[in-house]
Amino acid sequence: MTELELRDLRKTYRARGRPGVDAVRGLDLALRSGELLGLLGPSGCGKSTTLRMIAGLEPVTGGDILVGGASVVERPAQRRNIGVAFENYALYPPLSVAENLAFGLKARGRKARGDVDRKVKEIAERVGLTDLLDARPAGLSSGQKQRVSLARALIREPDVLLLDEPLSHLDAAQRDTTRRELKRIQKDLGHTTILVTHDQEEALSLADRIAVMKDGVIQQLGTPYEIYDSPANVFVADFVGEPAITLLPGIADRDGHARLSGSVRIALPVPVDPGREVVVGIRPEDVRLTAEDGLPARVVAHEPLLESGIATLALDGVERHLVVLTDPDVRLAHDERVRVAADRRHTHVFDAETGEALR
Amino acid sequence: MKKRVLGWLADTALVLYFVFALFPIAWMVILSLKPADQLFSTYFSFSPTLDGYRTVLGDSEGIPFVRFFVNSLVVSVGAVVLSLVVGLPAAYASARWRFKGSENLMFTLLSFRFAPELTVIIPLFVLYQKLGLFDTYVGMVWVLQLVTLPLIVWIMRSYFADLTPELEQAALLDGYTRKQAFFKVALPLVKPGIAAVSLLAFIFAWNNFVFPLILTSNEAQTVTVGALSFLGGDRPKYNLTAAAALVSVVPPLLLALTIQRYLVRGLSFGAVKS
Repeated sequence: MTELELRDLRKTYRARGRPGVDAVRGLDLALRSGELLGLLGPSGCGKSTTLRMIAGLEPVTGGDILVGGASVVERPAQRRNIGVAFENYALYPPLSVAENLAFGLKARGRKARGDVDRKVKEIAERVGLTDLLDARPAGLSSGQKQRVSLARALIREPDVLLLDEPLSHLDAAQRDTTRRELKRIQKDLGHTTILVTHDQEEALSLADRIAVMKDGVIQQLGTPYEIYDSPANVFVADFVGEPAITLLPGIADRDGHARLSGSVRIALPVPVDPGREVVVGIRPEDVRLTAEDGLPARVVAHEPLLESGIATLALDGVERHLVVLTDPDVRLAHDERVRVAADRRHTHVFDAETGEALR
Repeated sequence: MKKRVLGWLADTALVLYFVFALFPIAWMVILSLKPADQLFSTYFSFSPTLDGYRTVLGDSEGIPFVRFFVNSLVVSVGAVVLSLVVGLPAAYASARWRFKGSENLMFTLLSFRFAPELTVIIPLFVLYQKLGLFDTYVGMVWVLQLVTLPLIVWIMRSYFADLTPELEQAALLDGYTRKQAFFKVALPLVKPGIAAVSLLAFIFAWNNFVFPLILTSNEAQTVTVGALSFLGGDRPKYNLTAAAALVSVVPPLLLALTIQRYLVRGLSFGAVKS
């Protein structure tokens, strides 16, 4: 359908008598037609501001926004043809679901009544709202409201679809079903889509590619696997992954290891200059308990969670605890002595000063 | 035991308070039903008559009370309508945008409410004389803006602020203009607020005494001042004043009863969410 491109997009909030706040600092991003890109970051990272700038709800400080190759940055929101599903749904309370959907079509006016009705029916069927067309928003569940909000954004056949935290107000069960629905509908209709979220699970499961954002800057852009398997820096490594990665400071050795303490050394995946200060990152699922060789550790806590367990271990002489995902049948006692081994290929190493991954 | 004594005490206090509060009204009713010759000679036993009301509503005694009544209706409704036309967009704008001096502007508007009317009434009197606004409907509607406009702007502002801006933003994205987003999305959602605040503003405008007292003489005079005309002349006719005052209570009372439901919400200044 349509490509979306952001070129050096900037937003600075200025208040009188105070230095400006750079919410978005030079964003470059290109979406292929039909791609779903997840904009992932903690609150205040500039992701929502970016979304609002694309929609035209927030003036741009600098840079350009191109939809299908044409700049829309000078156009007001009404003339951009961008659909937004808002976080709080923004459904019009006095109108029924069908009227809410038709409301968007009537703005541009001069649509035959039958035409509007047909489109409402069509989109309702797509999104699974046919039985709810006469209901009022107040009587709907959050998941249903989310679908109405999505349908309202889609009914105008927008060039670009923006989803603002679409699953954040849903309970766990609704979240799973709605997520699957969302993915199916987006793939069916093939809209170029940006999904803004702080929830990594949402981004990892829905997005074709993910842009991880912090302080108004994209930290890493890549497929969910790339983000997860080779994080570009400490922030991305720490932000993506549940339970979170363990980050252990150490000093590179002469023989391809990092020394974490007097007795604990961990093999590094890439050669690093001896003496360099590094941070070693190990994901909980990349560590295993071993019988013989391996690092000696003491069990601080073990949480059995049925399908797997989470163990918190203290390595000898290392201040930070190591988090390890254990098999379901493993039982560990407090203060028990164990040995662990980490796979060198799945270990991550970052420069201690800059936080950038060493490759 | 102690609790019960306290309960009795509280009940007694309440009864006393009600007597204290309602006595003037009861006294007015009694007064309005007395024939002229028993005004000063009786307290509670007299031969009740509706003559007072007949005289007041029949425009006798040379005092056009019905016209005063109509004047009150015209200027109060006029003041509220004008305030709504000007105040609703102002309230919306001040709820949605902050611009240089916006808070100062809002505060100035509010200050019209707490500054005593007497501070401006003398220069206003001179101005009105010179401009030909003295004793006219236009003049009264205009000056009553000091009463109704701040009320409407401030209360409606909180109603608009309670609406999530995403509703209008969604409308903008659908292709509506800013104006349409205001008229078709925001305005219909604050209808209960408009009803409540209009009633309040109407009551304040209706009850205003100082402005019509100084700025009208006859043509545009309202009931609050007009009712006192019966006290003039060689003998003060308290029964007629009482009847006139009671008649003039009727419109605000009827309005308040009809939209009581909205009034409670309106008086809570939008703080209670549905």
